[in-house]
Amino acid sequence: MSNLQWFLVIFGWFSVLVFAVGVAYKAIKFSTMPQNLRWEVYPVPHEEREKRHYGGSYMEEIDWAKKPLHTSLAGEIAEMGSEIFFLKRVREYNPFGLWPFSMAMHWGMYLLFTWIFLLLVEVILKVSAISPITNIVGIVAFISGAFGCLTLILKRATNSELSLYTAPVDYFNLLFMLSIFGTGILSWITDSSLINSRKYVEGIIFFNLSDVPPIVILNFLLFELFLIYMPFTKLLHYVAKYFNFHQSLWDDAFKDKGSPKDKRNLEQVGYKFFWAGPHSLPNKTWLENAQDLVLEEKKK
Amino acid sequence: MNKTMINFKDIARLTDEPLVTLRVEDLMKLPYLDEEPPIEPPKPKWLETYDFSLDGHTPFDVFPTPKTNEEKEKFVFGFLSGLEKLFNPQANWTFLKIFKLTMDYCVKCQTCSESCHVYLASGRQEIYRPTYRSEILRRLYKRYFTPSGKLLKSFVGADVELNYKTVRRLLELAYRCNVCRRCALYCPIGVDNALITREIRKLFSQELGIAPLELLKKGTRQHLKVGSSTGMPPTAFTAQYIEFIEDEIAERTGRKIKIPVDKKGADIYLIHNAGEFIAWPDNPAAFAILFDAAGINYTLSSEPLGYDGVNYGLWFDDIEATRIGLKHLMIAKELGVKKIVVGECGHAHKAMCVILDRVLPGDFALPQIPRESCLPLFWDIVKRGRIKLDPSRNNFHVTLHDSCNVARLMGIVMPQRNVVKAVCAKPLREMTPNGTMNYCCGGGSGFAIMNSLNFPQCRKKLSERMKVKQVLEVFKDVLDPKEKKYVTAACSNCKGALRDAIGHYGLWEKYNILYGGLVELIVNAMADIPPFLKWEFEE
Repeated sequence: MSNLQWFLVIFGWFSVLVFAVGVAYKAIKFSTMPQNLRWEVYPVPHEEREKRHYGGSYMEEIDWAKKPLHTSLAGEIAEMGSEIFFLKRVREYNPFGLWPFSMAMHWGMYLLFTWIFLLLVEVILKVSAISPITNIVGIVAFISGAFGCLTLILKRATNSELSLYTAPVDYFNLLFMLSIFGTGILSWITDSSLINSRKYVEGIIFFNLSDVPPIVILNFLLFELFLIYMPFTKLLHYVAKYFNFHQSLWDDAFKDKGSPKDKRNLEQVGYKFFWAGPHSLPNKTWLENAQDLVLEEKKK
Repeated sequence: MNKTMINFKDIARLTDEPLVTLRVEDLMKLPYLDEEPPIEPPKPKWLETYDFSLDGHTPFDVFPTPKTNEEKEKFVFGFLSGLEKLFNPQANWTFLKIFKLTMDYCVKCQTCSESCHVYLASGRQEIYRPTYRSEILRRLYKRYFTPSGKLLKSFVGADVELNYKTVRRLLELAYRCNVCRRCALYCPIGVDNALITREIRKLFSQELGIAPLELLKKGTRQHLKVGSSTGMPPTAFTAQYIEFIEDEIAERTGRKIKIPVDKKGADIYLIHNAGEFIAWPDNPAAFAILFDAAGINYTLSSEPLGYDGVNYGLWFDDIEATRIGLKHLMIAKELGVKKIVVGECGHAHKAMCVILDRVLPGDFALPQIPRESCLPLFWDIVKRGRIKLDPSRNNFHVTLHDSCNVARLMGIVMPQRNVVKAVCAKPLREMTPNGTMNYCCGGGSGFAIMNSLNFPQCRKKLSERMKVKQVLEVFKDVLDPKEKKYVTAACSNCKGALRDAIGHYGLWEKYNILYGGLVELIVNAMADIPPFLKWEFEE
């Protein structure tokens, strides 16, 4: 292999490594943030079926603290699934009609990753029988993603209410994704069987990259750069979304004395109170502040 | 409709001219009302002292415009210091995760826009969009505290200039949102722009001691010092208000009921919003009649704070919320009750039953001191037939306003509906939308009690407007004043806002629309006492 080919192989592995470590690092960082106060909003989809339907909770019952909590994992999965796969809230509520374009972009991305996965299956397990499916997935990903990105850019650029909130970096992100899908389309146009894409993936996996057209190299190079870039931008919102829903909007579990939640809580009420307002005692802990019944405001 | 074009740089405009001037003709149209009072400009004498540069309104009589540049710089510096603390895991452990994820991962799709009653009521003026204030804060944070913002500046949107006007307008913006959190239900990513509002309020309160008079100085501070945010001392509670209510009950029902106060070992410690004793004494009176008839073993408390279940800290200040909540729970422990039941006060529900769960050690956890809403208890009393009911007593049209704190933020939706259906003669008229998707009354997060300067006008015209529209629409086929109509709301702040809106828009005079609590409806339907409800409106 030439120096360039070695670079491409190493860069391919490096990008996957950075992506995996980056996503894991962010997820760990989110999960180790302090335990927030309960801040749920109803409907909470893990409630019992009937309550879930109208947004009810266990607090509609008398003596609920003495009763076991019933939760439905299926309810949460269904709600999360409808959001991930169908962008339910965007469809129902977005006033700018972003839903079809956002769906196209998101599904382009889902299918792009699926395509890469199928290519890996093909080259590692030597399963050429799925090649037609792999190709269809890839082609649909490119077209759908490119259409979604392009229309979202146009929407954001031409609608004054959206453009106000769209920073240059937001356009850059969409253009970046468009470049991946666009070069994918060009790869397909120049190689309808996408055989060169297979060769590229095979070369990366087995450290034996053969000559492939520049457009294929560019397509994968852009994708690999995207893998490195994504975990450190708001494109990682799919991970944040999990924590937003599961540890905030749907987190309705009350703590019991001595429970892990309580232990974590105890640690947190022992933090120093840093705030400088006249009704705070900055050299004392949170709990000491809460217990302060002298109530004499310190003079500034 | 005239929509003022605004961008983020305008927030720093060095002028006293408001970014937006509200005019009735630009606001969301109200059906079935031909006219309404105009929007008056601020009084000239106020302009010399206070800042009206957001939209010509302010509640901040406690914060006159600083006279010197040094004072202004100190204010800006304090803001920056507080902003940094909002992102500090120890200083802001209570909400850091939700706050940070909202700040970092909002994709600005504006899906939440149409959820907001204030934004819609304003005629979709940009400054009231749920994401506008969040974006200002985000851009400031990026510019001053993130490497990408410092390096790439406007490329990443870190382009809002920081000056006195920016911070002052942001303070004002934090009080143009009811923190009803309807927008959180709309967000595909689960970010919470209403929380950003609350965090901005918290920054100003906890770092600079700045909050509207009625929330901090005459709110939580007064509550902790005197015993009630109303200013009612413990002596007046028992010697004046409880005795008055007992006399009223005797006079109107013929029943001599001794309201239990400080009764150790009772099953239930009932805690009201003390504003009820002053503004709507029929509400605690109805509780006393109902609980007496149903044989509920309960008590009130005359301890300082024990007779006032409000917790204004919920709206703007974590530590004040915790202080008040802790005192409530300590009183319950001293009384030795089995549980606390919260009266008809939405935010007290939320503070007591939800928020306090994770700000205090395990001795105060919910299973140790159970806290519940009064609404399931009402339904239990009605369902079990513990009182004799005559629904024909409530032979008028009834709609139900859901308190956001009770419905959307606690999931208590059906008990109150079941009660209305059981005690009223006519079918319940549901507003659109209702339940967890309801619109705020417009009084949420303190608005109902904030009456300084010209803020009430802002409240009436913007935040209460959507509820007025809903009420008119739900009664559209029976608007004839010969038909009695009742809006029931099991929340003091909601009732305050309804009183305000009904008075301002003339719904009582024009359409015979009255408002009131839920327990009053139940007691009005009690067959073995005279009708309880007074069909009269007082502003």
